[in-house]
Amino acid sequence: MSERSIRLKLEHIVKAFPDRGGGGMVRAVDDISLDIYSGEFLTLLGPSGCGKTTTLRLIAGFELPTEGRILLDGQDITPQPPNKRDMALVFQNYALFPHMSVYDNVAYGLETRRLPRQQIRDKVQASLKQIGLEKLDNRRPNQLSGGQQQRVALARSLVMEPRILLFDEPLSNLDAKLRVQMRSEIHRLQRRLGITSIYVTHDQVEAMALSDRIVVMNKGRIEQIGSPQEIYRYPATRFVADFIGRANFIEDVPCRNTGGGQAQVDLLGKSLNVPIRFEHHAEKVTVLLRPEALVLREDPSLKQVVIDQAMYLGSEVEYVVSIDDRQLVVVEQDPRLSRVYAEGQTVGIDFVAEAVHLLPR
Amino acid sequence: MQAMRQSQQVKRLQAIFRDPLLAVVLLLMVFFVTITIVLPLVAMVGESLSPEGLPLFERYLSNPVYQTILMNTLVLGTVVGIVGTLVGFLFAFVQVKLRVPFKRAMHIIALIPVISPPFAVATAAIVLFGRSGTISRGIFGVRYDIYGLDGLTLVMSLSFFTIAYLNLRGMMEALDPALDEAATNLGANKWRIFRTVTLPMLLPGIASSFLLLFVEALADLGNPLVMGGNYEVLATRVYVTIIGLYDTTGAAVLSIILLVPSLTVFLVQRYWINRISVVTVTGKPSGTPQTIDHPLVRWGLFGIVIFICGIIVLIYGTIIHGSFVRVPGVRWDFTLEHFDFVLNGIGAQAMRDTTALSALATPIAGLIGMVIAYLVVRKDFLGRNLLDFSTMMGIAVPGTIIGIGYILMFNSPIMIGDFTLIPKLTGGQGAFGGALAIILVYVIRSAPAALRTGTAALSQIDPSIEEASLSLGADNARTFRRITLPLIRPAFLAGLIYAFARSMTTISAIIFLTTPQTKIMTQQILNEVENGRYGNAFAYCVILIIIVMVAISVLYFIVGARTGAERRLEGGL
Amino acid sequence: MMNKKLMSLAGIVGGLLLVGAPAFAQDTLTVLCTPQEDWCVAMTAAFEEQTGIDTNYVRLSSGESLARIRAAADNPEFSVWWGGPADAFEAAAEEGLIEIYDSPNTEAIPENYRDEAGYWTGVYVGALGFCSNLDVLAELGVEAPTSWDDLLAPELEGFVAMAHPATSGTAFTAFWTVVTLNADALEAEEAGTGYDEDGAPTQAAVDNAFEYFAALNNNILQYTRSGSAPGSLAGQGEIAVAVIFSHDCTKLQLEGFDGILTTTFPEEGTGYEIGGMAIIANAPEAEAARLWYDWALTAEAQAIGPTVNSLQLPTNPDAPVSELAVDLTSITVVEYNFVAAGASRVAITERFDAEIATAPTE
Repeated sequence: MSERSIRLKLEHIVKAFPDRGGGGMVRAVDDISLDIYSGEFLTLLGPSGCGKTTTLRLIAGFELPTEGRILLDGQDITPQPPNKRDMALVFQNYALFPHMSVYDNVAYGLETRRLPRQQIRDKVQASLKQIGLEKLDNRRPNQLSGGQQQRVALARSLVMEPRILLFDEPLSNLDAKLRVQMRSEIHRLQRRLGITSIYVTHDQVEAMALSDRIVVMNKGRIEQIGSPQEIYRYPATRFVADFIGRANFIEDVPCRNTGGGQAQVDLLGKSLNVPIRFEHHAEKVTVLLRPEALVLREDPSLKQVVIDQAMYLGSEVEYVVSIDDRQLVVVEQDPRLSRVYAEGQTVGIDFVAEAVHLLPR
Repeated sequence: MQAMRQSQQVKRLQAIFRDPLLAVVLLLMVFFVTITIVLPLVAMVGESLSPEGLPLFERYLSNPVYQTILMNTLVLGTVVGIVGTLVGFLFAFVQVKLRVPFKRAMHIIALIPVISPPFAVATAAIVLFGRSGTISRGIFGVRYDIYGLDGLTLVMSLSFFTIAYLNLRGMMEALDPALDEAATNLGANKWRIFRTVTLPMLLPGIASSFLLLFVEALADLGNPLVMGGNYEVLATRVYVTIIGLYDTTGAAVLSIILLVPSLTVFLVQRYWINRISVVTVTGKPSGTPQTIDHPLVRWGLFGIVIFICGIIVLIYGTIIHGSFVRVPGVRWDFTLEHFDFVLNGIGAQAMRDTTALSALATPIAGLIGMVIAYLVVRKDFLGRNLLDFSTMMGIAVPGTIIGIGYILMFNSPIMIGDFTLIPKLTGGQGAFGGALAIILVYVIRSAPAALRTGTAALSQIDPSIEEASLSLGADNARTFRRITLPLIRPAFLAGLIYAFARSMTTISAIIFLTTPQTKIMTQQILNEVENGRYGNAFAYCVILIIIVMVAISVLYFIVGARTGAERRLEGGL
Repeated sequence: MMNKKLMSLAGIVGGLLLVGAPAFAQDTLTVLCTPQEDWCVAMTAAFEEQTGIDTNYVRLSSGESLARIRAAADNPEFSVWWGGPADAFEAAAEEGLIEIYDSPNTEAIPENYRDEAGYWTGVYVGALGFCSNLDVLAELGVEAPTSWDDLLAPELEGFVAMAHPATSGTAFTAFWTVVTLNADALEAEEAGTGYDEDGAPTQAAVDNAFEYFAALNNNILQYTRSGSAPGSLAGQGEIAVAVIFSHDCTKLQLEGFDGILTTTFPEEGTGYEIGGMAIIANAPEAEAARLWYDWALTAEAQAIGPTVNSLQLPTNPDAPVSELAVDLTSITVVEYNFVAAGASRVAITERFDAEIATAPTE
């Protein structure tokens, strides 16, 4: 993994659209630079309107950037039309050709490349087998279920063995169970085939499950790039922390820089040294504590909280507790090992020190 | 910001020129439309704004006679637009939403008026419903005065409603049934669904149907000539101004006046459609359309449609019957002399010429319509709306104006230096004996319908289906050929059929362009009608109808033949 | 791909048309023909047979003809114009669209059937008449009209048709006939009130004619565009009486309406038309055009009309006259002033349009 080559490079990409109302321009993508490595699975994650889909369409070539360059394997492809880019896009609504059979759908791209008939047949059949639809090759798209349609769409792209596989929220039209199933199928196929993939979603769980790296976007800009772990554990901004998973923010926590990338904070009655990952000048910081990093214990020596709400969810129990003037969310894993506290009860609160993450104010 | 906008426009152009073929096609279309539609119109406008023309505007518009004519024109256009669209809607609704017998027959009957040779329907209507009409006088014993607005509304609505029918039927079938289901789910009854879901979704189709019928009614010359009575409209007035007063300038001025309402409706419709356009066909079709089973609705609408079918059958029956009798409406003894007259006499050359020219114009018109629809709906380029608009001018402009425009523009070659850009097109010494001008007029008169049906069909197809093709390595041309065209094939076929039928039956636009070398059937029909030889006229019509029928079968065979299953899926047209 | 397809289509178009493209040799002639189509066919076929000149024609009404010649004045597509009312030829001469030709055969044609200056020569003559449907007349209980005033009978309300003077030479002839009759009547009362010093009817005569047509308007069902169209309306029983040229009525009778239609003439006087012929200015095939011109004035050429049921009277006194054709000596014909008629045409048609054709009928 250390010798990874850069497959795709985005350099200062800007995409501006005319403003709908006024005469101005809106920057849907605002100065994005990004390297995508060969063989990696990269996800563009963000709320709707953050520019992730536009970025994907810029990569695919459906849109032209207003500024900036796109390099594929070191070659500038910015002006190239989509069909010259050797990328294949899996669409949110599958975009199967309704007038063609499953077989013809999958064979379409290969025919465009003018491969020999037999080779096309072999490849299509192998591809259909891969997704378990080899028996439905004569069907029309409207004779397939949603999951099957998405599989065909996937096969249609995979069979091209593109340099980059692009996904535009491919699972959002599926029901929850199918989504999980397809998610693992995409994961399995991508890992096995090692195709460089760029995936767009607004679903953080999907992003976490599939990605080698996640790019969190907001308002056309990149908030943070990192592995799922980095993104979850060490979000760079409050936006990222809030968007990925659930978060308790404890504001205005006094903080002293003790040097060596460490800082001393006072938290829930404790004073501790934690790593600080940003340039720090202020007296106070915001502390991020994930709900699962908080622990409730009947221990009078701890800071005491009142249980406002307790929800038993099977694999976990979720509490909302009051401390001082604020509320915190606490998730206790594996409730078999501990008891479930009643609403109104007063208990002590503790936290896993390694999970404490500091954010700039 | 300004600089950024400009650079954005440059980028948009770059997007087109990324694909040289696309750029070539685009330039070709722009060139074609400019030469064949814009320039003749410019010549026309130029004529009307000449020192002789300008004062005429005031004279005409302040004259109560012309005010009445203008009013008549608008009323007729509106009434025919509404009635024709309504009839088309009813037919479409019965086809798609009701479970009733004889649907196939009703479909075919609804298609018949596509092939309405000018004067035929009006003449037959007079034979049937006129003052000595076989039905009005013969059965009901009344001398019904069919001449005027009521008669015109009847014959024009019957002649033109097919456009609305095909348009709306296509849209109704394409409506996602899930929407109906969703609405039912929300507790809406069928009427409410119709009002709140179906109708709003169909509004673009209804609007464009109305537009087409409106301009069609405004431009129609044949029907008002035969049964206008004293209800004079602008189209006949333009005709009169040339034929009677030998006044091209006056005709140009009146034409410009006639253009104003057409263009206004056109612009309103465009603006409106852009605002409410809906995308309903995605890559994932689902379900079958729900039918409406309320007996009153079902059999009531069925009855109305059957009644209208009856009138159409009666009229066309009269045309066919009339071609075999000595004097239709008067002398009912059997004769073949009319067919002898047409087939062995003057008619033979007209038949050959008209068919050949129409056959050449049809694929060009269909393809140009679809290509421009594709460019306009799918591609973003400077002047996109202008291209669409200019192409639509081909039909928004009444035929006589096009004819005069051609004469003014193409009577001498267009030169750039010593290079002949466009040779002389009109008249006997025009290119190919003037036939090229006629083909071009046929093309520009029928391409707009193909463009509209193509646009309607395309805007219902999710662009991502085409993007998928691009993303799989196919270029724009292949995508258009393999994906877009097959998906809009019903619209394409409708466009082709319409183009052929339209070319075969058009008169006003080519009345000035016929030459000794090219004889056109419709003009022969006009001669026969004017001379009261209805039998000959009907025989011409019957032969014309047969030619168009054969052509439609051929088109079905060529365009619809790719897979049988698909044809069945599309259920005919 | 797309443009390749278009190119090949263009190729097909070009190829097919090249095959059909005419040869522009000297031995061709293009005739602009205004009378009925079958007459045009018969005439061109006969000429072609006689001379070997490949002869084509385009049939256009007189108004269209004029517009078409005018539009192509720089580069005319026709060489000779045959048929159609003389006033259209007068207009063409005024605009320099036709040229003087002094044919050796003109001598044979009576002077009142040709232009003094030699721009045009008459090739046929037709008289205006009333073409009535006998069944409808019987039903309405009226006789076939024999005077202009008969048309005003209240029984005929909505049962009379004529063409619009603006579009139809026929209808204008009818109007001018009534003007002439009124001028005669005024002149009879007091000299100088009916005609001015140039021999043109006075404004008073014109006003009286308008009064007549305003009264007639109540009985008119429709002003058709084509001069002969009212005849077929009468044949179909849509109306009782059509004001048309008598030869058009006879033609209808010969083509199926025998026993249904009858022709009558106004006793006080009726108008007539002269069908003209002229060489187009700068004619591309001038020589052949002159040949046609000479030929069309012969008795032989003027005998062709009756063979296709076109029963206009020949202008060549030697041409045989069909017994079905109207005998101009048996009816009263008004002194028709073509020059004055041509000069008043625009004013009259416009006034007719404003005061009569668009006025509401009761």
